[in-house]
Amino acid sequence: MNPAVLTVRNLSVQTASGPGQRPAADHVSFELRQGEVLALVGESGCGKTKTAEAIMGLLSPDRWKVTADEIRLEGTELTRLTPREAGRIRGSEISMVFQEPLTALDPVFTCGYQLCSVFRRHRGMGRRESRESSLAMFGRVGFSDPERTFNSYPHQLSGGMRQRVMIAMAMACRPAVLIADEPTTALDVTTQAQVLAQLVELGRAYGTAILLITHDLGVVAQYANRALVMSGGKIVENARVDELFDRPRHPATVTLLSHAAGAVN
Amino acid sequence: MGSDLRLWGQLRADKAGMAGLLVVAAYFLLAVGVWAGMLGQDWSSAGGDRWASPGAEAWFGTNLLGQDIFQRSIYSVRTAFEIGLVVSVLSTLLGAILGAVAGWYGKTWVDGSVLWLAGVLDSIPFYLFVAAVAFALQGKPWAMHVAMVATFWTGTGRLVRAEVMKIKSREFILSARAIGLPDLVILARHVLPNTGHILLIQASIVFVAAIKTEVILSFLGLGVQDGVSWGLMLAESTQEVLAGHFNNFIAASAMLFVLLMGFNQLSDALQDAFDPREAAL
Amino acid sequence: MNFALRKLAHGGLLILGVTLISFSLMVWFGPDQTYSLVGKNASAEQIAEIRKQLGYDQPFIERYVSYLTDLFTLNLGASNSSGEAVSNILKKTIPVTIQLMIPGFILGNLLGIALGLLATYRKGRWIDRLINGFSVTSMSISFLVVIIFLQVFLCTPYGLNLFPVRGWQVTGLSSYLLYVTVPTLSLVFITVGYNTRFYRAVFVEEAGKDHIRTARAFGASPASILWRHVLKNSLVPITTRFMFSIPLIVVSGSLLIESYFGIPGIGKVTFDAITNGDQPVLKAVVGLTAVAFIFIQVLTDMIYKLIDPRIA
Repeated sequence: MNPAVLTVRNLSVQTASGPGQRPAADHVSFELRQGEVLALVGESGCGKTKTAEAIMGLLSPDRWKVTADEIRLEGTELTRLTPREAGRIRGSEISMVFQEPLTALDPVFTCGYQLCSVFRRHRGMGRRESRESSLAMFGRVGFSDPERTFNSYPHQLSGGMRQRVMIAMAMACRPAVLIADEPTTALDVTTQAQVLAQLVELGRAYGTAILLITHDLGVVAQYANRALVMSGGKIVENARVDELFDRPRHPATVTLLSHAAGAVN
Repeated sequence: MGSDLRLWGQLRADKAGMAGLLVVAAYFLLAVGVWAGMLGQDWSSAGGDRWASPGAEAWFGTNLLGQDIFQRSIYSVRTAFEIGLVVSVLSTLLGAILGAVAGWYGKTWVDGSVLWLAGVLDSIPFYLFVAAVAFALQGKPWAMHVAMVATFWTGTGRLVRAEVMKIKSREFILSARAIGLPDLVILARHVLPNTGHILLIQASIVFVAAIKTEVILSFLGLGVQDGVSWGLMLAESTQEVLAGHFNNFIAASAMLFVLLMGFNQLSDALQDAFDPREAAL
Repeated sequence: MNFALRKLAHGGLLILGVTLISFSLMVWFGPDQTYSLVGKNASAEQIAEIRKQLGYDQPFIERYVSYLTDLFTLNLGASNSSGEAVSNILKKTIPVTIQLMIPGFILGNLLGIALGLLATYRKGRWIDRLINGFSVTSMSISFLVVIIFLQVFLCTPYGLNLFPVRGWQVTGLSSYLLYVTVPTLSLVFITVGYNTRFYRAVFVEEAGKDHIRTARAFGASPASILWRHVLKNSLVPITTRFMFSIPLIVVSGSLLIESYFGIPGIGKVTFDAITNGDQPVLKAVVGLTAVAFIFIQVLTDMIYKLIDPRIA
């Protein structure tokens, strides 16, 4: 078995104002191993996104209370980083692709500028060098005319193209871990398959482990090695994908499976 | 009902807001006292010496006519509430009606005309408009009120219009239309009550604006015609301060400031309680 | 093309509305000048003659149309009270008002943007609360109180006595600074509270957008997020507020400041014209304000295209 690149132990997320309310994530623990695609599945609202944002350190402390015994990324304990140190790791060692390609990119900067700024920030590149790396990266994620993409604003691109730009930004620094939060939910079916295939292929090529958040068991069956099932903020099942489909143990998994079957029928 | 209780609880927890409410309530009691003829009745008699120092005779001293500044600043509470209440109630009402009609008939000529009227009124410099109204009404004491109501409704109107357009597409309105209730009934019974929070907040904002505007208008000679107000006291004091007499100025500005501060805090607390969106960010 | 036409039609309707309302109020219901123009003991014929000259015998529509015609042919006429050509008066006073208002207007907005950014950066912390307290305080003090206080404090022997109490004898930079400082401070203090409130709300909303989370996920520092992403995305509301407060500040703001400090700008002229019923001057001021509004709308639309790539 490959060594773990990301270890999460007893991660809980609560709203800062109402400690009496049910936590969004409740003592979540799991390991993400090198090179694998680990699916995090569950109904919408079960706490998948909040778990991911907590790992990335994106939850603002005046709204969310995040506690964890351990969130370790290859030897670095993320919970003990200063904001500056965390900023150096985010986008280079661990990265994220978001659900909404419509709003996740800054509308007033070109795609090229936004990708360049990742290279500049984490690789210390200058203007020329970051431009060349960006053009190469746009080519790598399947743009036939990288130059044109470079000069486009997000609103000028289709949803699938925007998500590719997002993937290019997330994978630019060949991170150890990529969290993909429902990366294709907002896209149409054919585009979905292309974008996911691209993502997984790129992860394999760069040796990036992927935490794939989804509610779609079809996606899980096709791309993931293992799956975590989340329900009501808790991880209720952790199994290899074939086992999950053959012998679901938790009612939440059964429900998910029946929904997937219903969707097929 | 349950949501009213929740809002009240939220207001109660807001310390600055509660302090503001107390201040406003205290001022309102003063105003009631003046209305009832118990307070500040001696505001116009010019009995004492001019520019007397504060003392047992006149607590805040006297002005250049020898009038008791304390009596005058207390009587002005009533003036302020009269202006604030009249202007805020009428302009909120006007904004609610025009905004609701515009929103209900959104994107039609009715909507277009209301927006046009609001745009026109917002494009005329305000003091110029008030002055013109004051002249058109030939020195009527309520010229100032008319001018303020005629221009202050536009903000409320726009907000209510946007909210009504949102509410209009909700299911309970659609079903009310489906069972054939007339438009006016739906508007009055189902739509307008849902804009209550906007109206309350706008009324509190307009109240503050009206009192502040009265000061400027009274200074320009377009404001309170008979009676006394903090604006008139400040206008008087512009002469006095250059001669080194500050009692009038200090009394009027302090009374004005405390009320406005209280109202602003109350208005903020209302906005926070009704619109937790910003607080949640 | 279609867009430009719609803008033009919209602007035309707005001018029509503004002139119609101001005509009704100021001319139709405005002060009657007959008796200030005829001599004592004038005969009925003389009075009728004067009324005819002034156009008082014409019906509403005709007077309104001739009012519009005068406006659009820039036939501004001469002031009733001083006899001076209105165009001359405007030429003299508008530059004074611009010199008077520009520093305070710009400083008030810049300070509001700076405080708004700082409050957003430290949202919910004590510095945010301090800035908010300062804004509410500034919003709770009357403009008149600020002016009187600053005048006493800075211009009289009861305070620091550094600046002239009133007037406008500007001959060079040093005299300009001498006369502009106190009005500028007043304007800044009175606008900064509202501006800070507004800009903070804009920035806080922008800071809550999805793409800000993206920027953070890719390691951008809080300062660069605020400076680059939040500020640049807020340029549209900033521009709107800035541009559309220009005509209001210039006329309404200068009206008060100029009449208080005795500065011969457009605000004072307008105010005097209102109190004297000087219609030619009023016509010119109202007409120019409406045109300025349209001009600013067009200009603002052009600026939008420069700062937001989504607006084509």
